[in-house]
Formats: sequence, C-alpha cells, structure tokens
Amino acid sequence: MAPTDATTIIGESIVVSGSLNGDEDLTVRGRVEGTLTLTKTLVVEPTGIVKAEVQVKNCVIAGAIVGNVTATESVEITKEGRMVGDIAAPRVIIVDGASFRGRIDMGEVDVESGRSETRVAARPALRPAPVARPAAKAEPKRLEEKTVPAVSKPPAPPAPVAMGAVKRKVIVKRK
Amino acid sequence: MAGIEKVPSPRSGAHTVIGSSIVIDGEISGDEDLVIQGTVKGRISLRESLFVEGSGVIEADIETANVEVSGQVTGNIAATDKVELKADCKVVGDIRAPRILIADGAIFKGNVDMDVKEAKGK
Repeated sequence: MAPTDATTIIGESIVVSGSLNGDEDLTVRGRVEGTLTLTKTLVVEPTGIVKAEVQVKNCVIAGAIVGNVTATESVEITKEGRMVGDIAAPRVIIVDGASFRGRIDMGEVDVESGRSETRVAARPALRPAPVARPAAKAEPKRLEEKTVPAVSKPPAPPAPVAMGAVKRKVIVKRK
Repeated sequence: MAGIEKVPSPRSGAHTVIGSSIVIDGEISGDEDLVIQGTVKGRISLRESLFVEGSGVIEADIETANVEVSGQVTGNIAATDKVELKADCKVVGDIRAPRILIADGAIFKGNVDMDVKEAKGK
C-alpha cells in the first residue's frame, strides 16, 4: 500500500544512531551516526549531519559528513557541503565553496594507457595555482584538464603540507 | 461499497519516512512524526507520532506520544497519548498508554496498561 516513491527521509529533528541499510534513496536532513549502507543515492541536505562510515552508490553532500565515504559511482560535495574524511569513488566532484579535508582515492589508475601519463604530467603545472582552498578547487578540475599540454615547469615542486589530499592523490596515481 | 480500503493519507514531505527497503539497527530519536515502512531494530523515542505502515517491521521498544500500527511490532510500546492498533497489524509486547484502540482484525499479544497518570509528565 501507499506505493509512493521509494525515498526515505530523515527529518530535521531526527537522530538515528546505529546502522542503517537500504536499497533506496535516502535524504538526510537530521543526524545519522554509525554506519550507513545503501545501494542507491545518499543526499545530505544542508541541515543534515552524518557521522558515519558511508557506503553508497552516489553521494551528494550539501550538509556535513564526518567519516569515510565509499561510493561505487560518484561523490559530489556541493558548495554548501562540508566533509572531513576519506573518499573512495571513481568520480569525485568538489565544487567551489565546498570544504573538505581528507584523502581521495579514485581507484586504479591505468599507467599503461597514455592518458594517465598526460595526467601525471599536467599535475605539476596545476599545483602552484591553488590559493585559498587548494584541495577543493584543484580536485575536480584536474580531471577535466587532464589534456593540458604537458609540463611547462620542472616537475614536482614540493607540495605544501596542507594539501594533504592532493599530495596523497599523487602518490596513489604513481603506483 | 466494495471493500474500499482506507488509503493512508500521503505522508510525504515534511515528515521523516523510513522507506520499505531500509533497515535500521540502533536508535531513532526526534521531535517529529515518523513513518516507518521498513525495518527498525533497537529503540525509538519520539515526542510526536509514530506510524508503522503495512510493510513496516519493528523490533524495538517504543516511546512516543502517539503510535499507529498497521504493520508488525515486537517490543514494548509506551505512549503518552494514544496507541492505535489497526486491522491487520501484528503486535507482540506490552502497551502502556492512557488511550488504546484495537481494531477488529488486529493481532495482539501482551499486556495492556491504561492506568497512566493524568499528568503526562511521565
């Protein structure tokens, strides 16, 4: 009965602590603590706070997440989104204005194919650029700008320590 | 009229809805209405109403103001206002509330206690 849309909503004043599993979209406007596992999309709205290990297909963060997020498809941090934790997903989108601290792992990088070489080459050129929020801004663009013609500067200027995310990413890619 | 079933009013939008494929193991608390179509184990404490719909399965102790059960509940229910067991629901556990309604067709096993003090301070 009541076959509405298969969307679960955790309202603003609701606190869920423990484990939450499901096969449908979930919108969080309140708080979720513990573990969160979905086979569909998690949307954390601006009022939502998730302090959990998150495993989903897609994740859209407009609120706050503290914890690691593993997505089989994509993770997007919108301009209102705040996140502390590691992200593992093949597609990671961080828009201008988002705040993020942690690592990003986009998975296997095929070193054999030429395209990842251009990526590696393009990175040093990008690195000196970021100013205010290096991780947030550099991250999404690098994918799009991977075709940037190779190196204009000598490779590998020492990355600032604050750019933990970017720096580690480099390490991942080089493997 | 031929078996018109009461269609539950569309409770979308503002409320919290736990969809039918969702399983929560832990605790839910809050100050707003909660509609459960999925499975919840652990504990639920609310200051408003809890609706357990036909597909909802609860294995938890419940503390709320109102409870309306059309699905399955295993656990004790304590409500400050009212507990309503609809037809086709299945409830095992003790119920404590000033007002308790059990509809024809409801399955219930447990104790009922309506002797709750007038002061709803609890």
